[in-house]
Amino acid sequence: MGNKSSLFLRNEEIAQIQEETGFTPNQIERLYSRFTSLDRNDCGTLSREDLMRIPELAINPLCERIVHSFFAESNDDRVNFRQFMNVLAHFRPLRDNKQSKLNSREEKLKFAFKMYDLDDDGVISRDELLSILHMMVGANISQDQLVSIAERTILEADLCCQGKISFEDFCKALDRTDVDQKMSIRFLN
Amino acid sequence: MIAVLLDIFWIPIGGFLSFLIFISAINKSIGVRKAYVNLLLRIFEYGRVSIETASKENQHIQNPKTDDKQGVQLVDDADSKEGTNGATLITRDAVLLPQPQEPAPEKPVSSTKDEINFDFEKCLDYVKSGVEAIIEDDVTSRFEAEELKSWNMLTRTNRHYEFISWKITSIWVFGFFIRYVILMPLRVLVCFVGVLFAVLSSSIVACLPFRFVRLSLASLSFKITFRLISSSMSSFIKFHNKQYKPTVSGFCVANHTSPLDVAILSTDCTYSLIGQRHGGFLGVLQRALARASPHIWFERGEAKDRHLVAERLKQHVSDPNNPPILIFPEGTCINNTSVMQFKKGSFEVGGVIYPVAIKYDPRFGDAFWNSAKYSMMQYLYMMMTSWAIVCDVWYLPPMYRQEGESAIDFANRVKSVIAKQGGLIDLVWDGQLKRMKPKKEWREIQQVEFANRLKSDST
Repeated sequence: MGNKSSLFLRNEEIAQIQEETGFTPNQIERLYSRFTSLDRNDCGTLSREDLMRIPELAINPLCERIVHSFFAESNDDRVNFRQFMNVLAHFRPLRDNKQSKLNSREEKLKFAFKMYDLDDDGVISRDELLSILHMMVGANISQDQLVSIAERTILEADLCCQGKISFEDFCKALDRTDVDQKMSIRFLN
Repeated sequence: MIAVLLDIFWIPIGGFLSFLIFISAINKSIGVRKAYVNLLLRIFEYGRVSIETASKENQHIQNPKTDDKQGVQLVDDADSKEGTNGATLITRDAVLLPQPQEPAPEKPVSSTKDEINFDFEKCLDYVKSGVEAIIEDDVTSRFEAEELKSWNMLTRTNRHYEFISWKITSIWVFGFFIRYVILMPLRVLVCFVGVLFAVLSSSIVACLPFRFVRLSLASLSFKITFRLISSSMSSFIKFHNKQYKPTVSGFCVANHTSPLDVAILSTDCTYSLIGQRHGGFLGVLQRALARASPHIWFERGEAKDRHLVAERLKQHVSDPNNPPILIFPEGTCINNTSVMQFKKGSFEVGGVIYPVAIKYDPRFGDAFWNSAKYSMMQYLYMMMTSWAIVCDVWYLPPMYRQEGESAIDFANRVKSVIAKQGGLIDLVWDGQLKRMKPKKEWREIQQVEFANRLKSDST
């Protein structure tokens, strides 16, 4: 019986977000009600903890990276509804006739690339890949094996022989992947 | 003026009230509540139709102003709402659970280094399912009030509907008057009578000499107490399958939505209650009940001691004269859309288990107690100013732990039976997530699975 009457979006805000993200007004309202229910302290923005409180997200091996992607744009470690929606917009299906600049194949790939690029310097180094692998498998594969996996993966993908993976290398490596299918959430209008 | 009116009418009003209280005490109905509930249903239906026509009219007014594109989208929205009831926002492929999935067929994995391959694509599924969990997940929404399909004329489920048309406004104002000015004082009075009855009758019963007299009178006093208390919320309860009503000592397990569950179930059958000692209003009731019949109340610290609890339970169940123990193995209130993990404790003790499924009708007033948001008193106040508490209770055939079955498997088996009967979603998640953080081991399970996937993909 949460009384959310004071927390409704204004029509202009909905229109603006629709313009930016391509979500329909109905979807925006539904996502807003999700946003406010995640916002435990009713302050209009979410903290990392607010997101981490979702159990299914918290058990995801990539949890920290996913949560971090929401805070990349913010400078005070809080994310407001517009920033929240901008991140989610990356996951709108490409086929959707209402195109927006956020859900193109390139944007989806960029999002995926940032998952690996821990220090945000535009390249994935061996150590970064190793940390991600470590997050994914925990203690179930030995460190030596992980090192060799990381080195081999970089060797295969690194086309400019810098020992690092640039965004171009990354796109090449995922050339034959159906990125749209892998990185799109089926929204029900 | 009012004093004069009271002077004239106090005898008929008082007589009528005592008659109502008496009727509810002996669990008979003269059909008033049923008629009331049916009337409410017709009002809600009327309200739904009016709200829909009003919002359609609003759209027509807005449409000429906006361009065609907007109009098309509005039509889209209406279509999708019909298809999905507006309950879900996305469809999902993969959901992560705090338990191992089906064990993958063991492939002969020789773990030489060269055979494990990784490519960037492999993490994408996890990224997607993580973002999906942010949009919609199975757990957090269970600890919040359920969404209603149409407005039930209560401001607390508000979407500013009460001002949508003058007809709706007048119904709402009238309903408000009925609920707050007429029903609530009466309900408070009935509830007070109930508690007073519990205190008096149990003190008297406790002094009676013979055990069998004492037991049967205590059982009667117990039922009457809760009939009074539950009728103070205008509860309209339908019991199904009465042939499976718990009879001998054992455990009665039910899904948990609110503290009212106890009152609802106790109107029909005598139980021994178990729980933590409370102060205040609940404390008064607890102490009164404990005087006459064998309930188990723990001090705050004691309940943590699992051996002590198990010992007390075993002792209680071993005496066939004791009424069945009423237990809510979820350990916390869930919003009546799903059943969450059952704690194995009561399933370890042994003895017969009587499953009971409770399903409330949220249209008349949401029975779910969001204890993070409302105190007990606020909750009672909300219940007493709702329309009514309407619910179905199903008694299910008694269940026994099978040979070689672990307590956890047994608990899950009972849970799925309750979920199926009550039309609730059967979840494996722990209800304690309402207050606690997820366990680290659950993420480790995911890591094991990913490692296995990596290994088996490579051969």
